[in-house]
Amino acid sequence: MSESDMAIIKPEMMKSYIWLETSDGSIQQVEQEVAMFCPMICHQVLQKGAGSSKNNAISLPQKVSPAMLSLVFDYCRFHQVPGRSNKERKVYDEKFMRMDTKRLCELTSAADSLQLKPLVDLTSRALARIIEGKTPEEIREIFHLPDDLTEEEKLEPLKNTMDDPRIRLLNRLYAKKRKELKERAKLKSIEVEEHVDERSVDDLLSFINGRDHKVVKTSKSKKKNKKKEEHKNGRSNGTCKVSNKDSRNLHSKQRSVDETSSSLGSVSNLLSMEDDIFSPKAEFEDGYIDDEIDPALKEMLDREVEDFARRLNSSWVLSSGQERQPVHFSINGNGATRRLTGPAARQK
Amino acid sequence: MGESLDLISDLPQSILENILTRLSLRDAIRTSVLSTKWRYKWSTLTDLTFDEKCVAPSTERAVVETNLVRFITGVLLLHQGPIHKFHLSTSFLQCRPDIDQWLLFLSRNDIKELVLELGEGEFRVPSCLFNCLKLTRLELCHCEFDPPKSFNGFASLKSLNLHQILVSPEAIESLISGCPVLEFLSLSYFDSLVLSISAPNLMYLYLDGEFKDIFLVNTPKLVAISVSMYMHEDVADFEQSSDYNLVKFLGGVPLLEKLVGYIYFTKYLSIGDDPGRLPITYIHLKTIELYQVSFEDANEVLVLLRLVTHSPNLKELKVSASPIQLFPLEEESFDLFERDYFDYKLPRLETVRMTDVSGIRNELEFIRFLMGTSPVLETVIVTSSLSDKEARMDMVVELLRFPRVSPRAQLLFLQD
Repeated sequence: MSESDMAIIKPEMMKSYIWLETSDGSIQQVEQEVAMFCPMICHQVLQKGAGSSKNNAISLPQKVSPAMLSLVFDYCRFHQVPGRSNKERKVYDEKFMRMDTKRLCELTSAADSLQLKPLVDLTSRALARIIEGKTPEEIREIFHLPDDLTEEEKLEPLKNTMDDPRIRLLNRLYAKKRKELKERAKLKSIEVEEHVDERSVDDLLSFINGRDHKVVKTSKSKKKNKKKEEHKNGRSNGTCKVSNKDSRNLHSKQRSVDETSSSLGSVSNLLSMEDDIFSPKAEFEDGYIDDEIDPALKEMLDREVEDFARRLNSSWVLSSGQERQPVHFSINGNGATRRLTGPAARQK
Repeated sequence: MGESLDLISDLPQSILENILTRLSLRDAIRTSVLSTKWRYKWSTLTDLTFDEKCVAPSTERAVVETNLVRFITGVLLLHQGPIHKFHLSTSFLQCRPDIDQWLLFLSRNDIKELVLELGEGEFRVPSCLFNCLKLTRLELCHCEFDPPKSFNGFASLKSLNLHQILVSPEAIESLISGCPVLEFLSLSYFDSLVLSISAPNLMYLYLDGEFKDIFLVNTPKLVAISVSMYMHEDVADFEQSSDYNLVKFLGGVPLLEKLVGYIYFTKYLSIGDDPGRLPITYIHLKTIELYQVSFEDANEVLVLLRLVTHSPNLKELKVSASPIQLFPLEEESFDLFERDYFDYKLPRLETVRMTDVSGIRNELEFIRFLMGTSPVLETVIVTSSLSDKEARMDMVVELLRFPRVSPRAQLLFLQD
């Protein structure tokens, strides 16, 4: 409702007006019976005597923009007329609700600030109708919601209300893989720390002695782990010395990782491939092992899991119709694998 | 553009809950995968409604059952805050220990409205239900109900609905009298119930089943009564006492606005010695619907006449006649309408509908009576169950002869 509309009204009608100030500072006047339909305005007028003049304008809540105010008053103007039948009102409401989603949300917010419950209910009903039956992707698109949940969070077993034993299997598989990667990350981080300590001395030594990493031949497993960390830190000149203590630790860690992988194998035959992956890995002796093994392993695992997920999804979709897109299992989510940085992430 | 594009997530929680409650529970919970903000928005909903549509359909019943149980348990575990309404309606669940656990959980979470409509099979309601002292509405279907001795009723219960419940009449009576603010009572699908109802705030009474005897001991505020009374073929099942059932049952409901009776209800009311006039006038009674009235039985017709003539504000009357008995009672009822009934006026009666009319004397006389005493009568709709065209014609001819006090009265004859 703009001032120009007001000008058309005959002066003899002697309507009284209420003055209102919207969030942008603009002031306008509205017919009293229309404005008083809103409880918030009504309260202000009756309890505080506000709104009687331009200087005394009721300042409206922030969520009420002039455009929204105009919409709200259109609604009020129609409904405050007493003689209308229920059917007329319903027809009006249906037509009134036809607007884009953004305006609908703003209108809900505005109506709520003005405490106009019938309009809040009307808009809520319209929003509910928009949401119902749609997939999460569709809903996100309509309301511009960020897709910021990790896949892991989307799949968390308790949240899986479409409980399917295959989903549980997948979750278990995923959880075990996470654990395994965590352990390997732990492995690396310990090495990193040790490595850092040694580095300063060895660096110096190697620099002094002019050695390069290829000369050193330690046990395959140790070397593998050592090389991993070297590449992780982006340096090609590795250290030659690995203390006995460390090697023992590395051994035990390697064993535990192997154990994990073999237990994984019992879950699904897909995972037996992991065992295969582990053994060929040991054959690499070069320093470039790192870039290929670790990320390669991860990629392989990712692919297996995605395959599995795809297979699962196709039948899952049929039975539940929940998420229609294939579920993506990305390891470099925001979760536990944070510690894997550097080339691993870059490879992805 | 410092504001996020997100249109909806920052609306106040009250609005979001308003929206979420309008979705099915399944859709509402699915919003938890939309974004981080939406993860737990559903979890504070206070009204939870479950049925088999919450889980994926399956041809195997056991699968649906298991999935539904897991779903409900999962929802309850993830839920935060009080739960005010729990509505479970499915034939897939019968007796399961899980239901006991859910009820225990609910009893600790301020449950106010509990609706449990299970499949056939007597689920025994656990004792924790009787600890839900904030209950305002209770609806049970296919359950076994056995309150402990220490149970004193639900102090806040306003609505009670028991359908096909295995329970002793004493338990129901004490339950009803232990709920002082009870306003709505519905008892259905019972066998041979003898019941005495004492409920000072009761406004709506709905009975449907085999009742032997009902006493409305203390129900002064009753506004609407609907009774479907079944009984054994042997009419003698009804207690023959000298008290007039009409007075016994409807004597203490001065505020009555609507009365509906099916099957043997009118017969039940007609039992006993007729004292002549009724002690009470139903000044608020606007609608009377009595179905399956046996017009061959003068006593039943008398009940009808009494009710109609003691309701000065009666606006709408619907009556259906029951089919002719194999052994019709003597038609001693000519003088029924010769009495001083025609001195009565039905000043507000506007609509009359009589169905299954077979053309016997009492039926026609009744219509004649109505048309002769209702100055604002507008429509009289008559439908007949007669198959014989000639008999129908005779009836119509006779009906058309009746004098009408209301100038606007229309007599409409409809084919069944």
